[in-house]
Amino acid sequence: MKAYPLATNNYQLATDKDMFDTLDISASALQAQRVRMDSVSLNIANINTTHDLKGRPNPYKRRFVEFLAGRPGDPSQPGVQARVKQDPSYREIYDAERRQYVRHPNIDLAIEMVNGIEASRAYEANVTAMEVTKAMMNASLRLLA
Amino acid sequence: MFIEQLLNQGNAPVLESVIRFTAARHRLIAENIANVDTPDYRQKDLSVERFQSLLRSRLEMRRHSRPGAVRFDDLSVDVDNPTRGILFHDRNNRSMEQLATDLAKNAMMHNLAIELLRKQYQQMDMALRERIA
Repeated sequence: MKAYPLATNNYQLATDKDMFDTLDISASALQAQRVRMDSVSLNIANINTTHDLKGRPNPYKRRFVEFLAGRPGDPSQPGVQARVKQDPSYREIYDAERRQYVRHPNIDLAIEMVNGIEASRAYEANVTAMEVTKAMMNASLRLLA
Repeated sequence: MFIEQLLNQGNAPVLESVIRFTAARHRLIAENIANVDTPDYRQKDLSVERFQSLLRSRLEMRRHSRPGAVRFDDLSVDVDNPTRGILFHDRNNRSMEQLATDLAKNAMMHNLAIELLRKQYQQMDMALRERIA
């Protein structure tokens, strides 16, 4: 448990670095959720990709995102960052036409949809947090008027 | 000197502390919302009750001291890791409902303190100008 100083001097009000920093925290989350959404889109787009760019039988590897506490570029600062990882596993599906097993990406559409909805909701929550921060900053700035 | 004494009396320093507290708490709530999907992340908060009791004790001290002797700008509150809510399988104890409620309540408290402080400054302004409105 660490002590959280509310101020360092008498002139520090709500519109100081703390509030701008809060916007950066929410922005890092927006970025992280967007990266998650990108992976979901990529996975759904490549659900049937069994070959790579050179035409070799190499199924697309499912992308997934790992969230880590700490801001991108500076993990000591509060925020969140997303790290994209690949899942090398695949499914073998029998192709009756070619009479052989074909390797398919290990993508479950239902899981991808759920991930997409979660990312979208989390994005909305962070946008709301940003709007509240902006409203609070505006209220503080009204003190000057 | 005169202006500083004027600003350090009455409700203004108390309201300033409340604004600083709500700004600091808002930062933690935003951090909690940002980390709603982060495994192993534990929610953080500042205790409103503890802050209020700290403020109350300072006000009590001010009552028995000479004007301007007790300051309110060095208050500090410990960051809590509240254990309320469900601990999910990713070892994150998020609760979006609780976070949304805390966010709204905290913003309202902030806006209330700002409005009161604004009125206070308006009154001072009126007194300095020696005229109403």
